[in-house]
Amino acid sequence: MRKTHPVVKGLALLTVWFLYLPLLGVAVCSFNTAKDGWVWKGFTFDWYVKLFDNDWILNAAWNTLVLGLVSTVIATVIGTVLAVGINRFPWGRKTNSFLNTMLNIPVVIPDIVMAGSLVVVFGILREVSSIFDMGMVDMIIGHVTFQIAFVALVVRSRLTLIGQDVEEAARDLFASNWYLMRKVMLPLMMPGIVAGAMLAFTLSLDDFVISFFLSGPDSQTLPLYIYASVRRGVTPQIHALSTLVVLVTVVLVVGAQFLSKKEEA
Amino acid sequence: MKKALFVVMLMLSLFAQTVYAEEKVLRIFIWSEYMDERKMSAEFKAATGITVKIDVYENNEDMLAKLQAGGVNQYDIIVPSDYIMSTLLAQKLIQPLDHAKLPNLKNVMNRFSNTEYDPGSKYTAPWQWGSVGLMYRKDKISPDAAKSWSVIFDPSKQTGTFWLMDSVRDSMAMALMYLGYDMNSTNPQEIKKAAELLITTKNSKFCRGFKPGVGGKNDVESGAASMAIVYNGDAMRAVMADPKKLGFVIPKEGGEIWVDLMAIPAKAPHPDAAHQWINWILDPKVGAKLSNYNRYATPNQASLPYILPKDKASDEIYPGEETMKRLHFSKDLGKANRLMDEAWTRIKSR
Repeated sequence: MRKTHPVVKGLALLTVWFLYLPLLGVAVCSFNTAKDGWVWKGFTFDWYVKLFDNDWILNAAWNTLVLGLVSTVIATVIGTVLAVGINRFPWGRKTNSFLNTMLNIPVVIPDIVMAGSLVVVFGILREVSSIFDMGMVDMIIGHVTFQIAFVALVVRSRLTLIGQDVEEAARDLFASNWYLMRKVMLPLMMPGIVAGAMLAFTLSLDDFVISFFLSGPDSQTLPLYIYASVRRGVTPQIHALSTLVVLVTVVLVVGAQFLSKKEEA
Repeated sequence: MKKALFVVMLMLSLFAQTVYAEEKVLRIFIWSEYMDERKMSAEFKAATGITVKIDVYENNEDMLAKLQAGGVNQYDIIVPSDYIMSTLLAQKLIQPLDHAKLPNLKNVMNRFSNTEYDPGSKYTAPWQWGSVGLMYRKDKISPDAAKSWSVIFDPSKQTGTFWLMDSVRDSMAMALMYLGYDMNSTNPQEIKKAAELLITTKNSKFCRGFKPGVGGKNDVESGAASMAIVYNGDAMRAVMADPKKLGFVIPKEGGEIWVDLMAIPAKAPHPDAAHQWINWILDPKVGAKLSNYNRYATPNQASLPYILPKDKASDEIYPGEETMKRLHFSKDLGKANRLMDEAWTRIKSR
């Protein structure tokens, strides 16, 4: 391999440092005895202990997890079906471009516009049935709404990649539709589906604006809790929580890398 | 196929667990740090068997927005301030109280029983009352300097970092009073001048921005700022723990006095439990416990004997006649509310 120029190396290191310095700062603060400010007052595990005693945080973490998992499962199923439908059906040219535009809209639309429109829609639906009260149901539907587009886009690109040849060969050999789906398409699409699901899950975990507008009294999520705490200035447990979340993410990513390397070998 | 079905069932059961609502529950929507959430919930549960779930907000406008967006059939108790009552009534967001369920209503002080904003206590029972003033660090700002709002608004007298309060009526009131106007002014020129003052102040290098009262208090307490516009109870909790370093004052140009009330939203899911809560809070000993915790003034005549003596003696918590002359109530501005909203949007965006 050609030796990289020291300036390039330096820039790369600087970028990594720039990206991770805030996270490191939060981790350091989480071990600080001081409640606020940057003055180092002593090392302590107190905030971590208090974290697990704090009902509100545990409730928010549970809600975030449930919301993420349920909305991801629903969105992945619908998104995959949508992708197959858009890509494999021989639409006319105009319909095709229309569908493409429709698919891209939830991706580019500003979060707050989406949240505002969801509030209006649920206001109308609430007249029909009280199941649409602000709360978990609303949030799941809201999250699924924007996740579908992301999943569909990822799966559709995977479908384009695998091409139609294998499917046509299978049809030539008298494969029924269901057999075709189960034994040919799904295994081929799986990396795309998994990638789409992971993207959807991340988006749901991260989402603040839509959750903020649709949450009910029982369904506060971690981003909402962190926002409320930071507004009041009470943050050491939040630092501990954030450090834990980052740790879990790192472990998951490293684990996923490790597993995929094993498969390759 | 079977695996997929199993996963779906698992998801639904997880989901159902979170959506399932218990019956004996009371949902309270209240300002943050306004009561000992853990202890009071436990004591209420011991007294009535009802579980308390608490959600918090930082100012009246946030609460109003949440109610309008669908919270009106989700919360059982809200704690609005006096000036927002006419908006709540006009938008039919609260329901009248059933006095038959509230025998303790007789404990309320006379001056809070028949008020301008709720004659006859038809819709509300008082929760706490207090003021808005200046909290400061004695090691950075001299008590003499703190006696005037000029230490925040006058560029030649600003000496320390400060937070403005993230609440439209409170911040505008201070600006209007500093300029010598009535804090409930509906004159567009006066509102404009107050907005300009706030914009200049916000952009000064000493101003750290807007923060809700509790946040500002936390920052002054920890030393991250030298001053903040805060509610007196929040401030006094910190000041009484550290009187040498922290202080609270109602500056000479004036401060705001307010009454917070308990109300029941129009479509509350558990109005019975809500009435039990209101009656329980109006009990003399419970009312005193509440005030002794959050250091605000109690509107409950029967609680007075149980209030901490040093709170009763403190001018900041129970203002004497001299201080009362400087304190003014916020009034609902009717159509002029729009002027305030526009001014606030301008202030926040410049």
